[in-house]
Order: sequence, then C-alpha cells, then structure tokens
Amino acid sequence: MLRMTRTSTAFGILLFFLLHTTSGESGSTSEDESDDELENIDVECFSQLEIKEDGHSLTCNFTELDLNNTNINLTICSTIIEKRICSTMEKQEGTYFLYFYGILSPKDVCVVLESNRPYCRSVEVTHIVKPETPFGINITFRKDANEYFIRYKTPHSKKKYLKDKLIHELAYRQENGTWETIHSQYLRVKLLGKSLQMGASYEVKVRSKPNGKYFKGIWSEWSSSEYFQSAAEHPITKSTDMVVVITTVGFILLFVTLVLILMFWKTRIKPVLWPKLPDHKKTLEQLCKKPKKNFDISFNPESFGYVHIHKVDGIQAKAEVECFLQPSAPLDADVSEKVCNGSDMKTSLSAVDKSILKLPVTYGGIWPSDTLSGHLCETHLSMLNESSNGIPYKVCSSNGTQLYNCGPMTHSSSSEDPTVQPRSGPLNTNTVSLIQPNNGIRSSNKDEAYVTMSSFCKNQ
Amino acid sequence: MFHVFFRSVFGILPLFVVLLPVNSSTCVMENTTVIREKYENILSHDIELLENMSEEYRDRCCRNKRHENPSAFFCNDTQEIRSLQNMACDMLKFFYKKKINKDFRWQTARVSCMTLEILHCRCDREQKNRKVCILLTQPSKDILGAQGPKKKCCQELCELKETISSLRSCWNKFEKEIAR
Repeated sequence: MLRMTRTSTAFGILLFFLLHTTSGESGSTSEDESDDELENIDVECFSQLEIKEDGHSLTCNFTELDLNNTNINLTICSTIIEKRICSTMEKQEGTYFLYFYGILSPKDVCVVLESNRPYCRSVEVTHIVKPETPFGINITFRKDANEYFIRYKTPHSKKKYLKDKLIHELAYRQENGTWETIHSQYLRVKLLGKSLQMGASYEVKVRSKPNGKYFKGIWSEWSSSEYFQSAAEHPITKSTDMVVVITTVGFILLFVTLVLILMFWKTRIKPVLWPKLPDHKKTLEQLCKKPKKNFDISFNPESFGYVHIHKVDGIQAKAEVECFLQPSAPLDADVSEKVCNGSDMKTSLSAVDKSILKLPVTYGGIWPSDTLSGHLCETHLSMLNESSNGIPYKVCSSNGTQLYNCGPMTHSSSSEDPTVQPRSGPLNTNTVSLIQPNNGIRSSNKDEAYVTMSSFCKNQ
Repeated sequence: MFHVFFRSVFGILPLFVVLLPVNSSTCVMENTTVIREKYENILSHDIELLENMSEEYRDRCCRNKRHENPSAFFCNDTQEIRSLQNMACDMLKFFYKKKINKDFRWQTARVSCMTLEILHCRCDREQKNRKVCILLTQPSKDILGAQGPKKKCCQELCELKETISSLRSCWNKFEKEIAR
C-alpha cells in the first residue's frame, strides 16, 4: 500500500513537470514569432570615434522603412569589469544615436519591441568606423612639372586613434563628365597635366575610410567640391621636346668632332698646335738623301743622248779650295784692262742673272754667256755691293796660277777656263772647253748645278 | 565528540575561503596577440596623452619620495601582467585626490581601467575600483567634484607621475616580450 502511494506520487510529479514543459513550449509560440520578427530586422550601425572630446558615437537605423513608425527601442549594452551596463539610444528622425566611452570591448545592440524580449546582436565598434568628412581642399598648379598638386585635411590628424590609419579617395571629373578616382594614404595627391584636357574645367572631392589593419568600417561622406581650370597649353612639353632635340644634336656633333680629331691628329692638328723645331742634323740628312731606287741614274754616255755632255779631265778640288781661301792677289794688268771695260759693264750688270753669276766654277767648263762678255770685274764689284754672301772669286789655271780675280761668286772649284780668261795668250792645252750656243749653255748650267752639289756632298 | 567534529570541519573550511584569494590569480589569461593589438592601436595613444599631461607639472619638489605602495613601481620579469595590474589598481586611488587636476585624474583613471580591461584583471579592492571604471562611462566629469586649491608642490602628484612612468615602461617591456 505504501509502495503504491509512493509510486503514484512520483508519477504525478513527473506528469506535472511534463505538462508544465509542454504548456511552456506551446505558450511560447507567440514569443517565438516575435523573436523571428526581430531576427529578420536588419539594423545597420556605424561608429564615429572621438567625435566629442573623449567620447564616441554610435548611430543605427533600420533598413526596412516600415519599422520606423513602430515603437521600437534600441539599447546598447556592454560588460565592464564583469558588470553589464545598458544604455538606451536616442531616436532622431529615423535614426538612433548614442554617445559612449569605451571601445575595447564589444557592444550588444539590442532591439526591444515594446514588452517583448529584446533581441541583441554583438558588434565591435572598431570594425564599423565611419571617419569624419575631409575638408580644406587646396589645388596648386606647378608649371615646371605640368602637374596639379592637391592637398586636403581631415579632423583625425589632431586625434589619437585614426591619425595615420586612414586611406583617402580623391574623385575628379571634367564638367558633367564621368568620375575618376585616385587612392592615397597621405593627405596629398598629384594630377598630371597631360592626363587632363587643356583649358577645361574640373571638379574635385575627397572622402576617407579606415585602412582595415585594425580599424575597419565604411567611407565617410564626400567633402565639398572644389573647381579648377586646367592650363590652356602645355609649355613644358614643348620645352621638353626642344631640350631633347638639342641634346641629341649636341651629342651627334660631339661624336663627329671626336672622330675628326682622331683622324687628323697626326697629319694636321698636331703640327699646327705643336710645330717641330728645325733640327740641323735632320735637315742636312734630308739634303743628302740618296736618290730613289727608280731614279734613272746611269753613267753611260749613250743614255744621255739628249744632254750635252762636257767632258771633264779632272776636278782640281784642292786648287779650287785654295783659290777660295787665299785672298785675292792683284790682277794682271792686261787681264784687268781687258775685262774691265768701263761703264758699259755697269749697265749690263742689271741684266745679269744673279743665279747664274753665283754658280760656282768647278771645272774648266763653259762660262755663262754673260760672263764671257768680260763683265766679270764689274759684276764682281756690284756683287760686293749688293750682297756680302759671296766668296771672292778667282779664276785659276790648271797649274794653279791665279789668272783672274773677280767679285763674290760662289763656286766650289774652278779650273782653268781659257774662254773666261780675257788674256790674249793661247789656250792651255790642258783645258778643254767648248763654246756652245746659248741654249746649250743654259742646259749646262743646270748640269753644272747638279754636279756642283754632288761634289759638295762628296767633299763633306 | 560532536564539538570536535564541528570544530574540525567548520574551522578548516573558512581557512580555505580566506586563503584562496591570496593564491588565486585575479587576471584571466587572454590571447597575447589580441592584447598586443589593443595596446598598440588604442592604449598606447592614451598613455602618451597621459605622459604629456604629466610633463606639464614640475617635479622639482619631488625630492623626499614617500610611497605608500613601493611594489607598484617594479615590473618583475615574467610577471609583467601582475605588475601592470598592481600599477593600474594603485593609480585608481588618485581618482578622488582633489589636489590633482580634474582632467589629469580623469585621464589617469581611463588608462587604469583600460589596462585592467585589456588584461582581464580586477583589483583587490574590487568594489571601489569597479565603481570608478563604471563612472568613466558617464559623459559628465562632475562626478569628480570641485577641484581643490592648487599647490605648487604635491606629494601625491609626485607619486602619480612616478607611477605613470613605471606603467609606461612596464607596458613597453611586456609588448616586446609578447611580440617575440
């Protein structure tokens, strides 16, 4: 009996709990429906840091407009040192607003529908940051670089948390054109002039956003627009082209100049800039140069058929040298009288070819026709007067006796020349000379010159 | 026999209740990466602002230093969190010192509460310190009361300046430690 009582009591208690549970579940359908409604409500929130001294703000709104008219409240709850603290947001024209002071811990955004159970969603206020709007756009045109330097400011530059944690977006467009954007993490942007149309009007505006490394969020509002006029011309491009052309031409000219200098350095430039000083030894060597290989040298008389050859018995070099060196002795009276005729000889001096007179007499050859006229004496005097370079001239016989003494005439050796000697005596048989016509005489002068020079070199 | 039983049972248990808070940690271990991020991006800026405010006050008169809690100035190796907790809790006591500038006290309390919040610590004087950090959530600073007469030399100010400097050094040391 006692057992049955205990069993029934236990069964009754169990049934009670079961009924209570089922009734509780059935009774909660209305609450579940409201919870489902709250779950479907989409609430968008964003935070603004340091908006008011040390305080931050949180702004929320509902995406579905129908709910704006219903009596819905939003509360923000946070846990501070294990204690939960909640604050109700202010309702301002469809949005909900609240100031708060802690950004380290997450906040619970709770939607409360009248007497229903609130629906909360956790948000991290550092991940829904909306920066303040930039301001103070300043546009400067740099003519030398042909670029537009745009600077702007942000209120966060003087605050703690978002100072260097923002990225900025600059948008520009031509009048009523499409927008183009540039991103920058700094408070300045450069627009190249060549990317803009010349002489057109442009509009510029800026906005900011957290860089996403720790602080995340959405774009701020656009700043107020600024307008500027692009330059009508691009002078820098013209000057740049001119500089390029001039530089290229300069390099080409320099290269050509260097090539020319290298080519003509030895032959033309160096002798002008650094002329060689005359060297006596080298000059002498050049004078005594051996004739070329192909030079037609032959001592065969037959090969010189076109040339009048004067045979030479002997070259009395020693006697001639003595004649050069010894002072002139008084002349034979007969000889001097016959030679020196007087004034006629003086007049004929001017017609005498000095080059012929200066030719040395090395052998008993034919004298020039001028000298044969017997003007030697006068010419001697005139030569003395006109030039002092001559050597006293003497006409000597083959036996060394001085036959005649004339003025300054250069000659290496002399031999007896009976044609020259104005004496009336018979010719010396040792001397052979031929009186040639004038043309022959002139050609023999050249030969005499050649022979004289060669004998000079031999004596050396 | 019964009184011996009750004495042994009910005598030991209170002893454990008293001894447990001494040995138990008042800080909950948190991910060091999260701690470093919060310090670098938020708390470091507030500590820098507090240091700038501290430098405005001259410390010429801070010669004879008398500290009520000397342990608050040491940042022990491998116990940086404990040291930071002691410093933060020690700074909270200045919240009601009217000899000190109101804004300076407000910023001091903010840094203390933020340090405790990042490290998930609480002070031994839990009731009083919790009240200060809750008061900081209010927008008005009237709770600080009227500021007392300004004095050129204030021993409490000297102590507070030194505590702020120690807190900054200990945070730098702890940050380098957890950044490895």
